[in-house]
Amino acid sequence: MKTLVFVIDKPLHGNVRAQEFLDMAMMAAAFDQRVLIVFEGDGAYALMKNQHADVIGLKNMIPVLNALAIYDINDVLIERESMKSRAISEDQLLIPADILSRCDIKSRMNAAGHVFSF
Amino acid sequence: MKISVQINASPYQHQTADTAWHFIQAALVSGHEVYRVFFYHDGIYNALRDSRPPGDERDIVKRWSELYRQSNIDLVVCVSSAQRRGLLEQSVAKKVGGYDKALADGFRIAGLGLLMEAVIDSDRHVTFGD
Repeated sequence: MKTLVFVIDKPLHGNVRAQEFLDMAMMAAAFDQRVLIVFEGDGAYALMKNQHADVIGLKNMIPVLNALAIYDINDVLIERESMKSRAISEDQLLIPADILSRCDIKSRMNAAGHVFSF
Repeated sequence: MKISVQINASPYQHQTADTAWHFIQAALVSGHEVYRVFFYHDGIYNALRDSRPPGDERDIVKRWSELYRQSNIDLVVCVSSAQRRGLLEQSVAKKVGGYDKALADGFRIAGLGLLMEAVIDSDRHVTFGD
């Protein structure tokens, strides 16, 4: 089993990449790999409540985020510094995520077999 | 070392496809095995048969087809990325009445499972393009 990290550093709605990117993470989980999803930088916005993708005619990605746990993807990390600099508080987060420092997230990534960037 | 490669960007717009191709050449010359090249996101445009760059430019699509002919490296285009962007596999194209000759020689269209298999089985998986 390998540990694969998927780093999301942009908001989810804005292009089709998010959908294809999360497909990759779920496929990795379906292949029984250990999957970590990291939200950092503007990616912190991806985890916020009250997103309305239908307004800009894009597919709503929130059900996919909610489905991560079904795929046994429970290691969802969000960078504390990114939240702070964007004034995002824990109660604004859509799904449970571990809020970790940049330093802690980097050490988790260093221990992984491969890092996919968004 | 067993290496797999993922290409996420279209040819010509960025240097991604060129860098990946040079990387593969260097890996082969150094005696490594390149197990699979997986074309994802806009990377699927690397497989368009009818790409016709001006004569004094490198032909990126042809270069991939030649790589397959010479080294038999598995060139896989992601099916969902491809369908979303209008590149259809022959049988699918026939079914929906689409263009059925879009895919260049040497490529095949398949699912994300082949990407994961490559990631798991290779010593290194190298991604080109963001």
